[in-house]
Amino acid sequence: MRQVAFYGKGGIGKSTTQQNTAASLARIGKRIMVVGCDPKADCTRLLLNGRRQPTVLDTLREEGPENVSLTKVLADGYGGVKCVESGGPEPGVGCGGRGVITSIQTLENLGAYTDDLDYVFYDVLGDVVCGGFAMPIREGYAEEIYIVVSGEYMAMYAANNISKGIKKFAARGHARLAGIVCNSRQVENEKELVDEFARRLNTKMIYFIPRSKDVQKAEINKKTVIDYDPNMPQAQEYLNLAKIIEENKDFRVPTPITIDELEDLMKEFGIVD
Amino acid sequence: MLLKCDKTIPERKKHIVIKGENGCGGDSSGCEIACNVPTTPGDMTERGCTYAGCRGVVGGPVKDVIQMTHGPIGCAYYSWGYRPHLADSDFHMKYIFVSDIDESNIIFGGEKKLLQSIIEASKEFPEAKGVFVYNTCPTALIGDDGKYIAKAAQEKIGKPVVFFPCEGFRGVSQSQGHHVGNMTIFDTLVGSVEPEEDYAYSINIVGDYNIKNDEKTFEHLFEDMGVNIITRFTGNVSIDDLKIMHKAQLNVVHCQRSATYIADMMREKYNTPSINVTLWGISNMSNALRDVAKFFGLEKEAERIINTETAKIKPKIEYYKKRLEGKTVFIYQGAPRAWHWPDLMRELGMEVVVAATTFGHEDDYDKIFKKVKKGTLVIDNPNAMELEEIIETYKPDLFISGNKEKYLAYKLGTSFVNGHTYETGPYAGYSGMVNFARDIDRAINTPVWEMLREKAWPVKNNSNPEVV
Repeated sequence: MRQVAFYGKGGIGKSTTQQNTAASLARIGKRIMVVGCDPKADCTRLLLNGRRQPTVLDTLREEGPENVSLTKVLADGYGGVKCVESGGPEPGVGCGGRGVITSIQTLENLGAYTDDLDYVFYDVLGDVVCGGFAMPIREGYAEEIYIVVSGEYMAMYAANNISKGIKKFAARGHARLAGIVCNSRQVENEKELVDEFARRLNTKMIYFIPRSKDVQKAEINKKTVIDYDPNMPQAQEYLNLAKIIEENKDFRVPTPITIDELEDLMKEFGIVD
Repeated sequence: MLLKCDKTIPERKKHIVIKGENGCGGDSSGCEIACNVPTTPGDMTERGCTYAGCRGVVGGPVKDVIQMTHGPIGCAYYSWGYRPHLADSDFHMKYIFVSDIDESNIIFGGEKKLLQSIIEASKEFPEAKGVFVYNTCPTALIGDDGKYIAKAAQEKIGKPVVFFPCEGFRGVSQSQGHHVGNMTIFDTLVGSVEPEEDYAYSINIVGDYNIKNDEKTFEHLFEDMGVNIITRFTGNVSIDDLKIMHKAQLNVVHCQRSATYIADMMREKYNTPSINVTLWGISNMSNALRDVAKFFGLEKEAERIINTETAKIKPKIEYYKKRLEGKTVFIYQGAPRAWHWPDLMRELGMEVVVAATTFGHEDDYDKIFKKVKKGTLVIDNPNAMELEEIIETYKPDLFISGNKEKYLAYKLGTSFVNGHTYETGPYAGYSGMVNFARDIDRAINTPVWEMLREKAWPVKNNSNPEVV
């Protein structure tokens, strides 16, 4: 079982990329469980065609720990992908980080990590803001981490920050940076810039996903692209990404860069005057 | 039933049952009581927390490890030294260790400080054979990876460092902490070494914490019989013994709330059979010896010991029985003692009229209902107001509970014996039975009650307020 975590700046298209990749892997016959680790519980919407299953933490809260079962919180999505959402508190209250810890431990106790799974995907909110959101990359969980990024400064800034977290956990165990996925925002020189950025972080840009209206069309219909229309060109892009991930064995300890270095990089590629 | 003081929290009704009334049969069939569920708002419960159950009950008695709290300093002091789980060690219970988490550690993470604390403490006390680290609420919330730090520390100091995820907010009472303690010790220590010695005729005493040296009253009896005790889980135990407890032929389980978990896990993983025993009271102690003897085919030896020991204490018990005959008892304990002791009380001529536990589960209450007589009030997780009302209504001759209830009992003019930490223990085994009887006699037959009847009660009962 490969445990894979997706991190990246909020709004970068992390959940979209994650779900489209999961759907593509399912398409080529892989068995996957997606664990949404965002309190907003929006990491499996496309795989479930908009159906909302109860989250782990809501079930814990409303029915008590003894009444949480996999049948309540685990739903089958596109291609048999098992979907579960941790859920969490409303914005501005409680502690979402502890929620992630509790949720993953609950899934473990309930026996969600079955041997027949090829992949477990963790879709984690924006940044590794506290110990809780690092839970998926603690020892015994994800060993393979992909950062979704674009050629925009703040997206790379967040990616660099996430790399710092991965570096810390890499020193402790098996968590490694497995690559950068560029979800294009059609920034000038984007491919070259992100490629170089990835190199500086001691990793690779494993794929450049071109911007396409196909994604929005599918999203409006609550579907991944491959589910909505497998003949769309964008479906092939995600299939390519899925195959690269399937074959990827290049997992590294990242080398985060300084802010100055990041700013210089932006200048070098002509983004900043 | 609903007590008067519970008018505003009628939910408490489900936690209070009289044997022989409202569907609860005189033969204990159909006796159902709400227990091990979250506290009802408005109920000023006396329950502890998961940290207390793990640190205070299961982990704390291990005698040769550094007992380290990962959390704010108050969590350490207020969980230290209140439970006399004694051991033959100069190190045990003498010291207290804490990572001393403060505001800045909460903001920036407490992992470094924990690692540093473990290393410092183990340098300062090279005689310690390992470190037990207990997690608290705040360090759990900020997501400190204590398990990893324990692993890193273990590599640094070259001794076992065991991390207990016993953050206080988990579970409904301290009971969850017992469970965490059992699982952690089982996962990290039990079976971690494989000694070659011969372990025929060997047992573990599981769920005895050596309160006031209880173990000294019964260990030699098992040994006399020809049975070797490998591990005491966890009274007066070395961390080294916990590692080899899987070598025992039989688990002898005393506390059947806080330690059945490890016996169950050992049955599953190592096929170790277990038997449940009560080591308090004459007939219970005798039955415990008999049951263990039967397992090993040592019945003759057991009968010999039982005859000698019971003969030794018989005159003393008869003396106390005469002085205690007909007295009524209210037992309120953590859980199992409420069902361990009704037989013992009968051996002293006394009868339990109220039985209560702080954190009992269904199986504890099943045993209570079986042990007590018809008409006995059984209450789950009582609060101070309920205790007061019960004492005033039932007027037991003796209240057996803990320090928290001691002065409430005295203020209500009720004899009191501390059943948690004992007055002048030990209370287990045959010799402990004499101590228990003596302390009960002292409590009930002390002249102070006579003086109160003569001096204080007439004032209390006077209808003229001016006299008061």
